[in-house]
Amino acid sequence: MHSEKNSQSYFTKRFMLSMLLFLLLIAAQTFTIELLQLSDWLLIVVTLVPILPLLWAFIIFKQRFQTLDEYMQRLTGEAFLWMLGIVCFASFAYGMLAMKLAMPQISAAYILPAVFAGHGLILRLLLKEADNEK
Amino acid sequence: MKNRVKVLRTQKGWSQQQLADLLGVSRQAINAIERDKHDPSLKLAFELAKIFSSDVQSMFHPDSSEDQ
Repeated sequence: MHSEKNSQSYFTKRFMLSMLLFLLLIAAQTFTIELLQLSDWLLIVVTLVPILPLLWAFIIFKQRFQTLDEYMQRLTGEAFLWMLGIVCFASFAYGMLAMKLAMPQISAAYILPAVFAGHGLILRLLLKEADNEK
Repeated sequence: MKNRVKVLRTQKGWSQQQLADLLGVSRQAINAIERDKHDPSLKLAFELAKIFSSDVQSMFHPDSSEDQ
């Protein structure tokens, strides 16, 4: 139990640190692009740098997944499957509508946070459902 | 797959959390196994049998309705 709590705490700390780093890099990126005249290749680098802490967050999440027991791994996978289905069908429906109607522009950058947040929410619902059946 | 985990756990007077701690799994995993919502892996099934000083065959048996 203690090791599970420690593992969860270690995961949360590292994950929050990666998110903090992401926000700092976004702020730095915004100021750098606003204040400095960057060459094209430097603009690409500065724009993409905030992706690094997100990659780190993904690695942290993957490491955490590997420490979960088989049932929690199953629920986590199920939550991702739900989220994959939602994102795929929503983007396909959006694309179909966009071919026929004037649709609002949605940045593809929102997909990653939507998948992470949606996955977390669905996992909570699955856990709540499992507990309600207790 | 039907199992006798809940019966054996209750006989020992353990909570789901206590059994989960002994096995190093989550309480939710024990809950799901007891309700036949999750078939444990062979490794976990053997660990369960060891904890209850039993054997896998007497703890787990196929649900005949699943075969139909």
